[in-house]
Amino acid sequence: MTISRRTLLAAGAGAGLLTACGSNTGRGGGGSGPRLSQWYHQYGEPGTERAVQRYAAAFRKADVSVQWRPGNYDQQTAAALLTDSGPDVFEVDGPTLDQIRGGQVLDLTDLLAGVKDDFNPAVLAPKTHEGRIYGIPQVIDTQLLYYRKSLLRDAGVEPPTTLDALVDAARALTDRKTKGLFLGNDGGAGVLGGTPLYAAGFPLVTDDGRVGFDDPAAARTLGKLHRLYADKSLLLGAPADWSDPSAFLQGLTAMQWSGLWALPQIKRELGDDFGVLPFPADGDRGRPAVPVGAYGAAVSARSRHKDLAKAYVKWLWVERTDYQKDFALSYGFHIPARRSLATEAAALREGPAADVVRFTTDHGYAQPLLWTPAGQTAYQDALSRIIKGGADPERELRAAVRKVAEEIARVGA
Amino acid sequence: MRRHRTLWFWVFVGPFACGLALFTYVPLLWSVGLSFFDAHNTVTPTHFTGLDNYAAMLRDAAFRDSLKTFLLFTAFIVPVTYGFSLALALMVNRVRWARAFFRSVFFLPAACSYVVAALIWKMSIFNGVRFGLANTVLGWFGGDPVAWLSTTDPPWYWLVIVTVRLWLQAGFYMILFLAGLQRIDPALYEAAAVDGARPGWTVLRHITLPQLRGTSVAVLLLLVVNAFQAFDEFYNLLSDARGYPPYARPPLVYLYYTALGQGQNLGLGSAGAVILALVIAVVTVAQARWLRLGRTDGDG
Amino acid sequence: MDDALVRAGRALRLALLAALALLFLVPFYLLVRNGLADERDITSPEWTFFPADVRWGNVRELFQDPSVPFARSLLNSALIAVATTLGTLLLASLAGYGLARIPYRHANKVFYGILGTLLVPAAVTFVPSFVLVSSLGWISTLRGLIVPTLFSAFACFVFRQYFLGFPRELEDAAQVDGLGYWRTYWRVVVPNSRPVFAAVGTIVFLGAWNSFLWPLVIGQDQSAWTVQVALSSFTTAQVVRLHELFVAAAVSILPLLLVFLCFQRWIVAGVERSGID
Repeated sequence: MTISRRTLLAAGAGAGLLTACGSNTGRGGGGSGPRLSQWYHQYGEPGTERAVQRYAAAFRKADVSVQWRPGNYDQQTAAALLTDSGPDVFEVDGPTLDQIRGGQVLDLTDLLAGVKDDFNPAVLAPKTHEGRIYGIPQVIDTQLLYYRKSLLRDAGVEPPTTLDALVDAARALTDRKTKGLFLGNDGGAGVLGGTPLYAAGFPLVTDDGRVGFDDPAAARTLGKLHRLYADKSLLLGAPADWSDPSAFLQGLTAMQWSGLWALPQIKRELGDDFGVLPFPADGDRGRPAVPVGAYGAAVSARSRHKDLAKAYVKWLWVERTDYQKDFALSYGFHIPARRSLATEAAALREGPAADVVRFTTDHGYAQPLLWTPAGQTAYQDALSRIIKGGADPERELRAAVRKVAEEIARVGA
Repeated sequence: MRRHRTLWFWVFVGPFACGLALFTYVPLLWSVGLSFFDAHNTVTPTHFTGLDNYAAMLRDAAFRDSLKTFLLFTAFIVPVTYGFSLALALMVNRVRWARAFFRSVFFLPAACSYVVAALIWKMSIFNGVRFGLANTVLGWFGGDPVAWLSTTDPPWYWLVIVTVRLWLQAGFYMILFLAGLQRIDPALYEAAAVDGARPGWTVLRHITLPQLRGTSVAVLLLLVVNAFQAFDEFYNLLSDARGYPPYARPPLVYLYYTALGQGQNLGLGSAGAVILALVIAVVTVAQARWLRLGRTDGDG
Repeated sequence: MDDALVRAGRALRLALLAALALLFLVPFYLLVRNGLADERDITSPEWTFFPADVRWGNVRELFQDPSVPFARSLLNSALIAVATTLGTLLLASLAGYGLARIPYRHANKVFYGILGTLLVPAAVTFVPSFVLVSSLGWISTLRGLIVPTLFSAFACFVFRQYFLGFPRELEDAAQVDGLGYWRTYWRVVVPNSRPVFAAVGTIVFLGAWNSFLWPLVIGQDQSAWTVQVALSSFTTAQVVRLHELFVAAAVSILPLLLVFLCFQRWIVAGVERSGID
């Protein structure tokens, strides 16, 4: 009996507590000026979070609360946009075509009036749908191949400039303790994505909106990736994935595909003993390729202060070039999305960093807007089966082409 | 008097029933509704498409694969967990020394989450590099490191997935079996001994197992229900920032990416979920029939 | 000779059990070893059985990590687990008792309506549940994490089975004393049913503490993260720090192991007397 009463009491107390905690979501009314909530994904570099909070605090017309969100960011934002409890302003590796078509993000074209040409066209294009712009590129990121100079020299291997040379080099560099190449724990299907296709001269989607890789030569290129796996030259199952240079630095692999953001850490630990390469070309039509992408600032259509949110985005990502430069260069290592800022940046003028800037200008490609998540999943599944399962590349690619074509037809309608 | 009782019935059952209606039945019907619409990035769709989503889902090879994965997984994990936890219970029940210790050790993992267990398995025991425990042990015998979670031929990832689940669950079912064993009347064993039956296989087959029938039915049902809900260990072991590999992908994981990922195809995801629910209902009802659930005495 | 055989069998069984017990303890050992080690010790190609210098500082580092509010997530998990357990026990036991003991024409239909939901996988209702909770404005709130999970058909089923077998004489005596259903329930039934409450309570508590998918989607704001979501964020971060990951995992299961060891006797007793089988 006493137990039951205590139980009831505790339950009552719990309920009271819940109500108290309930509304504490970091947004909503209260306070003086209107409140905006702004979301960022978790950047790995120290200082970034404090920096974006500093920018937000400097905006006078609204009280901007910054939310820093580790974990699966794309999924979190996609789900939050369905509800009224999402952000007003958020950065997004998109927005996706379905988010644009579904009216979930606002048209930001007029924010760029007069300065549109200053933004790198490669990363602005995927934010543009039927001439309207739905995201303001913040910084450019890219990925590249890091290699350990000393290990290549010891093995008598030249830095590979063709896919065939890469396959041979990876095999030659593999011994009992060290693998030749690390393309992520899934064998490369996830991080490489369309890069090998571009390196073979095939776009994911053509400019006139058709599947770009419906070609036996494309299948042949992807088939070569299976040789890396079959030769056991690939590092697999490392505790940290491709985005983290740990495997490269721990000497588990001689070459690793990773992000530009890893460059400062690698330079700090290895000094001059490393070099960078784009994904090597393959076939007659091929040329080297690196993916470029940009997180863009977007405004949710469910925001309660749409004009204010747009004004904030314009203020931060168009007008305040000092903050944009600080954000790109002071913490992590990104290329500014605006050409005027990129050419000014001293850190990008020499050594491997300068090589990387050259790669992005000469060989960069961005995923087209028509490359929808469903199409991407189908292609990625096919690539995984080709690389790891040794599946017939032509058959796998045909299935992916069919799915991508369906998706293009769906969103083009 | 009857009205009085009806009132009291609803006082007791009402709050629970209302909550269940709101948080289970409403979403259920809503989901079924969504499955008939083209619902990209919206939960209040307007474009009615009839059975298109169902047709698309059934045509989708990846979804069919995931159903196959899940049936295969269930068919394997259920008997294995059943056998293993029964064996543990029989051994712990017979041991005379340090029985409480053994019981605790096997039961302890039940307190761990799939997230923690997946982390230990993925990062420490079965990572693919030379400092993983499994690879260290292999190295002592001169073996080369194996990338357990990334190797598809042979499919070593199943070893990782199955062992994680066994470690987490076997202890709980062992406790259920132990409770069942305690309830068996010792007189039965004495009678068997008088009849000349030797302890061992004969006694197990003719006394212990039949007496455990009630427990067995409960354990099997719980195991199947749990296998249906498999998501956590798959997601935590195999997903990465770029998605999920096309193997060992159970339907819940596939639907998670279809409906809740950036894809946000809620209509298609709901159709898949309804198909999954039908499969589960058929399997469960068939299983209940097969075990003749209705016949067990509900003595508690 | 037979005796020797029996004794050999016994020794074999003990050896097998000991070996299995050792295997079952390995993951716990790894948690502690990696959690208290230096990053270099973990990734060293030579296996060290225990770090040469034990780094308790890792624990402090974990709670001071600015990117993951670990202490807050522990608190959230504790609040959620306690509230879920108490709420579930209350709602499910009342419903179970009503279904088992109060005569009502449609009681069976209600019971099958509850039982049927066990067949529906969470996936089916997941997206609409999420939207429902968000339209109630409960995203990233503890309410949103707790209330929708309170209605466990499983717990209700267990209670109903148990109350069906509850000795009627006790209740009859109470009714003679003039107590109605309500007071009979609280004064006679509940105090005599502690083991089953303990058993169901522990199972619900474990489930709430360890639940992952629902908190992942509902607890969007860092302030509403549970410990499982915080842990998972360590594994998906751009840069993985192994020792931090493991020390976090170890800390996250510690409270649970304690609860578990204390309540083990009750769970076993509850299982024996409940209608779980």
